[in-house]
This record gives sequence, C-alpha cells and structure tokens, in this order.
Amino acid sequence: MRLVVARCEVRYSGRLSAVLPEALRLLMFKSDGSVMVHSDAGGYKPENWMTPPTVIEESEGEIVVRKLGGEDRLDIRLAEIVSDVTHDMGEAAALQKDGVERELQELLADAPEWCGEGFRLVRREWPTDIGPVDLMCRDAQEDWIAVEIKRLGTISAVEQLTRYLERIRLDPSMGSCRGVLAAQSIKPQARVLAEARGIDCVEVDLAVLRGEREPDLTLFA
Amino acid sequence: MKFSISRDQFLSQLGIAVRGVSTRSAIQTLAGVMIRVEGGSVELQATDMELGIRVRVDTAPERDGAVVLPGRLLLDVVRSLPQDDLSLEHRTSEQDVEVVSGPAKFHLRTLPLDDFPKLPEAGEAAAMHVPAGAFVETIGRVARSASRDETRPHLTGVLVSASGQELRMVATDSYRLSVKETTLEKPVDGSLEANVPARTLQELSRVASAGGGDEIEIAALENQVIFNLGDVVISSRLVEGRFPNYRQLLPESYEHELNVNGPELLDVVRRISLLAQKNAPLRMSFSEGAVEVSAQTPDVGEASESLPVPFKGEPLEIGFNPEFFRDGLESAESAEVVLKLISPLRPGLIESGGEDGGFIYLVMPIRLNV
Repeated sequence: MRLVVARCEVRYSGRLSAVLPEALRLLMFKSDGSVMVHSDAGGYKPENWMTPPTVIEESEGEIVVRKLGGEDRLDIRLAEIVSDVTHDMGEAAALQKDGVERELQELLADAPEWCGEGFRLVRREWPTDIGPVDLMCRDAQEDWIAVEIKRLGTISAVEQLTRYLERIRLDPSMGSCRGVLAAQSIKPQARVLAEARGIDCVEVDLAVLRGEREPDLTLFA
Repeated sequence: MKFSISRDQFLSQLGIAVRGVSTRSAIQTLAGVMIRVEGGSVELQATDMELGIRVRVDTAPERDGAVVLPGRLLLDVVRSLPQDDLSLEHRTSEQDVEVVSGPAKFHLRTLPLDDFPKLPEAGEAAAMHVPAGAFVETIGRVARSASRDETRPHLTGVLVSASGQELRMVATDSYRLSVKETTLEKPVDGSLEANVPARTLQELSRVASAGGGDEIEIAALENQVIFNLGDVVISSRLVEGRFPNYRQLLPESYEHELNVNGPELLDVVRRISLLAQKNAPLRMSFSEGAVEVSAQTPDVGEASESLPVPFKGEPLEIGFNPEFFRDGLESAESAEVVLKLISPLRPGLIESGGEDGGFIYLVMPIRLNV
C-alpha cells in the first residue's frame, strides 16, 4: 500500500470530466490496483477513485492512472509531495462480520442446502480480486454457485454479487458460476433486479437455522 | 370541461374510479382521478400503474376538456355536498375546478394532466365473453388463497384459465392451494390463461356484484388484461413469473376420506378457533367415529368440541392454521364436504361434495408440539 500526501490537481476523464483543483490530498494506491483520492473532509468516500484493473504510469510531477481496457483516466498533477510511503500489508485478513450477518454466514456454511437444493460448501470467504464472496458452493451437477449473505437483501447486495460473479466468471472453469442472494428478508426491488440478472433469491429464517424452531410446512418451496 | 349531474349518480361512479387511485406513488398525478369530457360523454379514469379503472358517466356535458383532480378529496367533497344537483367546471386560468351544489362552492386545484398515463385499451385484441355471475363466484372461492407477500409476486395472482365450457381459477400462497372449476352454460369464444393479480379480481368482483352487467368481456394483451363490464373497464398488468405447477402438488392418494357436514364442521371450527390465538394451531384428533377439535392458547384458555365423523383406523392427530382451515371450509360453500387426510405432516384436502363440486382446497398442516 502506497500512501502519498501531496498538493495536487486531479483531472478525471472518461464517461464525464471532473476536476479537483489543486489542494492537499491523500492518494492511496493499493496493491490490487485500486486508486483513491481523499481529502480531509467529505466523509469516508474518496473524492475520486479508480477500480482495478488499472495501469499506473508515473513521471516527474505527474501520475496517470488508466483503467485497463477502458476510457477512464485520472491525471494527477503533483505540485508538492509532503509524504510518500509504501507499506507491506501482508496477507489480507478476511472481513470479520458482526452480528446477524456473521452468524448467518456461519449457519449457512454448516447447512448450505438452505441456499439451494443439493448445495455443498466448497469454501467460505471465496477470494476474488475485488473482495471475498461469502460462500462458494457446488450443486449436485457440480456447478459452481456463489452465495452472498445479507441480513437484508437490497439492490446494492444484488449489485455486489453481480460484481463478484463478473470476476469469478473470468476463470474459464467457473464461467457458468451462478449466484444466490441469501438474506433474512429481500426487498421486492432487489428480487426483481436479481431475477433480471439470473440471480436466485433465498430468504432464510435465523430461528430455523439456529434450530430454535421447526420450519413451516409448505406445499412447495 | 363542464357538466352537470346528479350528486348521487356521480358519487357512485366516482367511488368506483377512486379505488384505482394510487395511495403511495411518488407521481402526484396518480393520486388523482382524470375527468375526461369528449364527444358528448364523460369518463373517469384512475390508475396506480398496475390497476386501471375507467368509468363511463351518463350525463350530457356542456364543454369538452380533461382535468385531473385529487381522487380522495374529490370523493369526500362530493359525498359531503348538501344537494343532489352538482356541476363541475374547469377554470383554465385559475387551474382549478369549480364544484357547485346548491349554495356550496368548492375550488379544487388540478393535478398535472400530462403526467397521467394512458390506460391500455383492448383495441383489436380478441375478446371473450364470460357470464359475470359465474366469474365472480369463482373468484370468491379462490382469491383468499393468493399470497399477499410482495416478495413472492408470482403467488399474488390467480391463475385464470378459460376454454370451451370450463372456467378454472387457481391460487396458492404455498401454505394452501385453491382450485375452482366452473362449468359454464355456453362455451367461451377462444381461450385464456393468465396470472391476474388477486387485487384486480377482487375489484372486479366488487364492481360486478354492484350491478356491472350480466357479462364480462375479457381481452388479454401481452402483459395486460382488460375486463369490460359495460360502464366500467378494469385493466391490469399481469403477474410476472411462472405460476407453480399446481397439479404436481395434489397427492395421488389419501389414507382417509371422510364425508362430513360442511356447515356443522365450520361452526365448530369457528367456535374453537376463538381460543387459537398467537399462532396456536387448531388441533384435530380423529378417532373411531369422531373428531375432537381443540385449541389452546397459553395464558388465555382452551376449548374443545367433538363431532361425529366416519373415521376408521388408527387415531390421527393433525394441526392446522385455524384461519387457513376455516377459509377452506368457507370457500367450499357446500353442505357436504369431503375431508381427505394422509398423515400429520402431509397436506389435507377439503373438497366440496354433491352438487357444489368442482372446488378443492389443499392445506398444509402445522407441526404439533405434543
């Protein structure tokens, strides 16, 4: 991880054009290719950013970040460098999730069949280059299924799983990987979006998973 | 736009249209009723983008035009008018409608007309005609089994099929399944299979039951269905998603088939269900020649009642959601019902017997904690 504190001007070009005028900023270059431009205000979000894969070219007084295979480009003109340090962050630890979501992940990892008939767990926190997907399973036909687990299934959860699936399917052996969004409850809009993208939705009952209650008997799932 | 009309007549027509008004849309105009005067006729329209209602109003208008007025407010105003004479006039420059009845005068601001969507029309689509009475009766037998859970939209509809002399409707919420097959006096022209929102059918029933004519004209478009009841036209989007293959859900055989007196069992179930509160089950204990129906709610009390049934074999105890079981008996609408059972964890079937046949209601039990 390279952290640069610099007085700089940042120009973004691509789908639109935007300019951050010269000011003191923190530039973060992650080893996965992510680049973020932070100021000391504006909350947790970067003022500008580029997601991987990126190409970073550096010359005297300038850093150019280009999106690989795209038009997006950040031109960072460095007027003054205050600090420029690089840290070895080691192996990334898996995200520690709190509360219900974490427990859901643990319970569903033990009983993946609640996410779909015949599912068996291959790995929890399956790594992708943009973050780990909660569960990677295979079904009776040996097909791959990526399962994202949420307390509440929203449109952003569908978007997140879509991004994971994009990355996972780059591997030719997992090109047919399907997605399942599992949540205690799923918003109707999220269900519509998921259906449009071929992602299955599964509502799970925490009390049933915990074994506190028998599942309701139904005519069909 | 200007016309005069009897308050009571307008109120009854407006009351139908307002049921199509959206109550929670971000589009302001959808909270309104459009009044369109064109070519000597007056029409009211309302829609929430899923359900659309058009009502023809029988009066002689004085001036053409179209406005959208807040639906609920207009209904309240008309209902409150002191006299039966009523006139409505669009004042373009003031962007309002003047409502006058005797000495009472209201000026209601209009909503944006351009935002009001165009309701679908049958156009050249083939239409079939079904008897209103049979159609409404069939809706009434199955609609309550449709799901109200918007997270499972494909179950919020009723599968309506018609061809030849058969009209069939199916609804399920995954806990119960209702199927009603009605034999029509005359064959219908063409065929239909559509998953129609239960809410649409319930509105249709309401209008038809209030005297909407003897026949309903149905036109199915690609993703819409249009019901024409004469003065009232109800259009609705169709429910997306595949309706479950309900035939697969019906067990091939049952361990017990009991002919019971429907109204008698229904009375018992209604009584005992009073003590089945807070998700408590209705417990049915079958033994040789009798069934004991009982319920118990902690901290409230318990109730039980026996009645004779032609049960034979090993005793069987099964629990049902009291509301679902009662719905099944009520929907059977039959003096004689056949109760079919397999085991405590397999579905039970209520079938209308005798001349009231053609109705089946499959219901899942709930586990009993002995």
